[in-house]
Amino acid sequence: MSLAAPPRDWFKAPTGFERSWIGIALVWCLILFMAMPYWHFRGRQNSTGEAYTVTASAFLDRTNAFVAAYKVGEDHGVAVVEPPPGSDVYMVAQMWRFWPILKLKKDQTYRVHLSSLDLNHGLSIQPMNMNFQVLPGYDHVLTITPTSTGIFPVICNEFCGVGHHSMTGRILVE
Amino acid sequence: MENRKHPVQKLMDNPWLLLVLGVVIPTISYTLWGLLELANTPVARLP
Repeated sequence: MSLAAPPRDWFKAPTGFERSWIGIALVWCLILFMAMPYWHFRGRQNSTGEAYTVTASAFLDRTNAFVAAYKVGEDHGVAVVEPPPGSDVYMVAQMWRFWPILKLKKDQTYRVHLSSLDLNHGLSIQPMNMNFQVLPGYDHVLTITPTSTGIFPVICNEFCGVGHHSMTGRILVE
Repeated sequence: MENRKHPVQKLMDNPWLLLVLGVVIPTISYTLWGLLELANTPVARLP
């Protein structure tokens, strides 16, 4: 509580420099606000928000079928899958791994379905630092077109328990 | 004459109205919107 009450009519409409700076701050707020939708379309790195409800068992069954159909090898015991361009691709997140390893073609478009079998994980594709939520009970669909070749490590960036730091995956682009 | 307060002062001098606005606006724009989104999320077809 203040020691002295403010005067009864304390509000004075801003004038002069104060008014100018409020205007500048407002314009800057609007610019930053518009930067978000601008980068959504121009940057082409954000999810469009396409999502569906799904059970963990149905998603796991579909991913198993996907891996069985397109498996081309293994890396340290993890299946490497090379789906045809333009197809639906499935990746499972669970404590504490992303599975399978995806092998994609540059400049080809894929629909990557993401879901979690247990709890909230985060798919962070490095080194571009593209980040997406992976939620249990939801099929989050990312339509992606890799624009460069290489090995892109995937890490979990939502704390998911004692093995969180070891939760990694990989996307290979040829 | 002394009763003609600036509208901003009327708002800022009314803590209960500020409390209601502070609860109602995020509830509608964040919580209810989110719940509607969840309720209207279709079931995955998993092609």
